[in-house]
Amino acid sequence: MLAVSIITACESETKQLPILGPTIIKNTVVDGALIADTTFGAIRGFKFWDQDSNVITENTVEGKLYVTDFFFTSCPTICPKMKQQMLRIHDRYLDEDKVVLLSHSIDPVRDSVQRLKTFAEKLGVQTEKWHLMTGNRDSIYSMAKHYVIAAQEDPDAPGGFAHSGAFLLVDTKRQIRGIYDGTDPQEVDQLMDDIQFLNEQE
Amino acid sequence: MNKNKRISLALASIATMTVCFESCNYKPKNQGRALYNQHCSSCHMENGQGLGELYPPVAKSDYVLANKESLACLIKNGVSGPVTVNGVTYNAAMSGYPQLTQNEISNLVYYILVELNVQDDSYSFKEVKQQLGQCLISQDES
Repeated sequence: MLAVSIITACESETKQLPILGPTIIKNTVVDGALIADTTFGAIRGFKFWDQDSNVITENTVEGKLYVTDFFFTSCPTICPKMKQQMLRIHDRYLDEDKVVLLSHSIDPVRDSVQRLKTFAEKLGVQTEKWHLMTGNRDSIYSMAKHYVIAAQEDPDAPGGFAHSGAFLLVDTKRQIRGIYDGTDPQEVDQLMDDIQFLNEQE
Repeated sequence: MNKNKRISLALASIATMTVCFESCNYKPKNQGRALYNQHCSSCHMENGQGLGELYPPVAKSDYVLANKESLACLIKNGVSGPVTVNGVTYNAAMSGYPQLTQNEISNLVYYILVELNVQDDSYSFKEVKQQLGQCLISQDES
């Protein structure tokens, strides 16, 4: 009897994933007082090009869960580990159409479509699953800012750019549901658990 | 055991402990592993397995075994241009690590050869020093 109630208790703790952004602060005046309300918006539209010159926009991820990050192909520090971990997600969800991966290069001058293509081939990437994207420099950096991921040109950083190793999980409403360290296999395990959870929930 | 002997034994063991703090935990592979994790594992990955066809393996690597004697120079000065490892051609430039000391390079070579490539032995500090003395001048320095 005790065991049954413990099991029931455990099951009743349902998992929830927070909505992390993007946040919108809405100011309204009620009876002369300013009320600031935080609501959650969706990730805004975007337009980039992937390793096969496909145009990638918000329509590409419509109705899908996606994982996104920022990197560059000649990055000598954290990127190879991020790509190793992203490849795990790529391999695991290769046959799951609802999951796609979007990696933005923050080095659009050197990371041409051709260079991303070579990089993707050497990594064994299927284009329809994992889009390695380049585009207009300002669009990329403003997109990083929109996702609240640190990315900047920095001549003192190895390779010339400083950026975060974060992976973001974005749901079908284009709301951010999780932020993970993309260099840490355990956090990426968690990310894949959360993908599973969102997939079952919807 | 008389009192004097006991005291001198106690002193000796304290002295040993002090020395131990400096060196008893010291094993070439420990420093080698730490250096590997710090400088190499980003690209060559945590167990030396490499990544796809982007970064070559340095564990169980025919290239490492064929170039045993030039590993020290390779670490110090880097390598560019295509290399073929275990039948796959890689073409990503590796920057050198000229800031590493001879002993550090020696310990790193030890870790790569003995731990990652299951070799019985590595080179002595003296041998690595000799190898480093004979490195071709890297392009950066010329």
